[in-house]
Amino acid sequence: MKTKKMVSIIVLVLILAFAYFSYTTALSNFTLSDKTNSYLGGIKFHRAAAGLEEGFQIAQQENKPIMMYFWAIWCQYCAGFQTKTLGNPEVKNILENDYVLVAMDLDIDREVAQQYGVSYPPYLVFMDPKGNILERVPGAVEPGYLLPIVTQVREKVRGK
Amino acid sequence: MITIGDSLLYATLVLSVIALIGLLLKDKKNNENLNKLVTPAIILGAGLLASAYILLTYYFVTGNFAYDYVYQYSSRDLPLIYKISGTWAGQPGTYLLWVLVIYLSAAWLAWTTKHSTGLARKTQIITLLTGIYLIILTLIQTPFRLIIERPEVVDMIARGELTAGFVPADGNGLNALLVNFWMIVHPPLMFIGYATMTIPFAAAIVYLLTKEDGWEELGRQWARFTWLFLGMGIAVGGVWAYLVLGWGGFWAWDPVETASFIPWLTLTGFLHAAALHRKDKKTFSIAAPILAAVSFILVLYAAIVVRSGLFNSVHAFGDTSTGTLLIVSILITSIVSLVLGMRRYLEEPDKVEEDRGFWNKTNIFYVTMLLFVILAFISFWGITFPAFIQLTQGLKVGVASDTKNFFNIWSYPFTILLLLALGFCLNYNEKKKEEQKKTLFIIIGLTIITMLFRTGNFYVLDHSSPFWVREPPLYKLIGNISVVSLFPAMIYATWATIQRLLDYLRIKSLRPRIKGIGIAIVHFGVVFILLGTVISSNFTQSIDVGSIPLASKGEKVDIGNGYDIKIINFSTRSLAEAAPAPGIRISEIYKNPADYINNDVKVSGRIVDFVNVQTPPSNTTYMKIDDGTGNLWVATQAQEPLNVQNGLEITANGFMMSNFKSNSTGTTYDLIIFTTPDAITEAATSGNYNVQSVQLEVYKDNSMIGSGTAEYLDSKTGSGTFPLVDSSITGTDVYVIFQGLSGGSVPLTLKIIPGVNFAWFGIVLFAFGIILIMAVRSKS
Repeated sequence: MKTKKMVSIIVLVLILAFAYFSYTTALSNFTLSDKTNSYLGGIKFHRAAAGLEEGFQIAQQENKPIMMYFWAIWCQYCAGFQTKTLGNPEVKNILENDYVLVAMDLDIDREVAQQYGVSYPPYLVFMDPKGNILERVPGAVEPGYLLPIVTQVREKVRGK
Repeated sequence: MITIGDSLLYATLVLSVIALIGLLLKDKKNNENLNKLVTPAIILGAGLLASAYILLTYYFVTGNFAYDYVYQYSSRDLPLIYKISGTWAGQPGTYLLWVLVIYLSAAWLAWTTKHSTGLARKTQIITLLTGIYLIILTLIQTPFRLIIERPEVVDMIARGELTAGFVPADGNGLNALLVNFWMIVHPPLMFIGYATMTIPFAAAIVYLLTKEDGWEELGRQWARFTWLFLGMGIAVGGVWAYLVLGWGGFWAWDPVETASFIPWLTLTGFLHAAALHRKDKKTFSIAAPILAAVSFILVLYAAIVVRSGLFNSVHAFGDTSTGTLLIVSILITSIVSLVLGMRRYLEEPDKVEEDRGFWNKTNIFYVTMLLFVILAFISFWGITFPAFIQLTQGLKVGVASDTKNFFNIWSYPFTILLLLALGFCLNYNEKKKEEQKKTLFIIIGLTIITMLFRTGNFYVLDHSSPFWVREPPLYKLIGNISVVSLFPAMIYATWATIQRLLDYLRIKSLRPRIKGIGIAIVHFGVVFILLGTVISSNFTQSIDVGSIPLASKGEKVDIGNGYDIKIINFSTRSLAEAAPAPGIRISEIYKNPADYINNDVKVSGRIVDFVNVQTPPSNTTYMKIDDGTGNLWVATQAQEPLNVQNGLEITANGFMMSNFKSNSTGTTYDLIIFTTPDAITEAATSGNYNVQSVQLEVYKDNSMIGSGTAEYLDSKTGSGTFPLVDSSITGTDVYVIFQGLSGGSVPLTLKIIPGVNFAWFGIVLFAFGIILIMAVRSKS
């Protein structure tokens, strides 16, 4: 009985220590902020439904295609997708210069997600400035797959 | 409006209350008539719920879109099986399924015991209370709500835009991700698991309350059943993620899959506690019932995670309104369990026992249970505190630089400890204890040494991942442990299991022998699952194939790293029965051309040939389409050459001309339809669910390593990828994701995933072993 009690107490203390430690670690290291773009591969996005309207305005003025990126904080494949695929220098270059980028948080912008038939992250929807869907890319694709698409969509919109 | 379905639920509610009163008043006199009613009332209630479920299924099969739930999760063109599985595609239906299974369990309990013992009667009372609570939840979020009761539809009716008897012509359709075999079986397994957790919980509460004897047999048998169903539900969810999401992995620490995994862990702890508690009532007299209660509470928690907006995940297939009531139920059950547990603890007389030291079976079992609790807590905390922070501080936080890292680093050391405990416990022998301790210490030593091995990139955390550098020091420290350190403990556990199996095989009487074999098989399962997980997550090779042009069909295309891919065939089909294509059969036109020339004609078919020519100031595209009865040219002018390819199915509407001589192509067309790009629609010949399949062969160094079909499902409710998975006997999968045809080429990603089949094999062992254990009724 004594040993069990002791073991239980040790375990309880360990659990509390773990809970406290991971909590504070997350708060100090992994708070996601808009300023650093830490959760979107370091790329600047317009945010949420408001960002989408704003995006359409800019897209129409500058005749740029829109790329909508659906992500979620708990989506571990998004994290890799952001750094590897969106963060790929060639892809990133085209996206930042020739696109209007809008990010949708699946947890918050559920209505938009439903409207565009997006049910899981990561998910990209490419549109022309009028909002016609040109291309959909579901899942964490590799940069080699995304690069021709971002090029084609850009050419299509420019050609119009 | 109360629909037939809802009235069935209300009737069950009334019956349950009658049965409940009957059970509560059992000891009082003068209510024999009421007593006689109890068992039939419960069985009838279960029957009514079953009819409600059948009724719902009937609505789905017949496409009764007057019901909102049917409208949301079904559509006319779905194959029958998906119309049936649509009943459990959303929350209202799963509530009904959940409550139905609870009542079936209650009916079984009533039928087999007739409430003759105090334990049975009291267990039934708690089961019924749970059932009633869930019926109320089901009624709040009822699957039998009519579409005209939707607020926006009510508004539209009020504005006169819709009639009061509005029924949509077709449903919204099932999410493309759910159109899949594994999704047919995943929710029922899960919810049967959830529901059958009720009886072990009820029995445990009764035991805590009254020390009623015999609870552990009742609870244990049901707990095994729950363990099987919940476990298989989780596993099938993993298979689905692997085969459908195209993530190339089966476990992603997604909040919902994690949430279901937590009660499964504590339930595993309970089964271990109950094994000793059964032999000696004093052992784990509090731990065992508390673990059963905690498992039930965690099931409720999992239900909240699925249903509340706080924890979003791939499971977010619907909205919620019952989250608060679930939270209330968690609070109630937690407080009750805690208070009862505390009371029992304080009542327990301090046993004056001889101190047998730390190294005895009970203590090691206790440590094992604690390890399950710790693992459960790690998972619980990892999904909970980010939601808590978001709720209280409005901040979004990650648990680690990469979410999975958090779960992996913290779970890893405890998994090793669990394997060590397994090795020590399963083969425990009081007489050989000293010797066994020595072996254990050697293994622990080996584990510590192997932790320090520097092994390429075979560490707890992937050092090549961009997230690695951003992890805090402690996470890096654990992440730096070599995964080789898992092997001494794994071999030790395997060896112990083999030893134990040999012991069991020597047992003369059949029943304990079968049961022993079952126990050994389950523990082999653990080893296989860990092996498969570790190998597949560390050694998966991913090759970005890029796009292979469809034109290279039949040729091997070098994709680097010594791999080649050959496209054998490409085809499209509709999931539903093919609806007749719009327009006129081409053969009809050729029979009586005069009827169609100089008239508007609509035809549908597949493009078999096309020419793009420049006809300044624009471009003209000539497409030869074939509908199976004949072929015909269609031409259209546009600013840009049309982006078409052979194989594309189109419907074109335009003006038919005869003997048209084209200057640009130099051809004279007997019959041709002139149309505009707007009047051409793609794939209008098929229904809402279109499947593109590409048949492939994969080669490594010129020898074929895999072949099969990768598919892409497109629908108005989203799209899904169904990768090619070709397994080999060595446990390695060739895995090819196809992202849907794009501009005439086939985008592919190739993954070589080793060891993953060990995990599937381990899961089969789990199921097989527990079924053997369940098959043998042991007498206490």
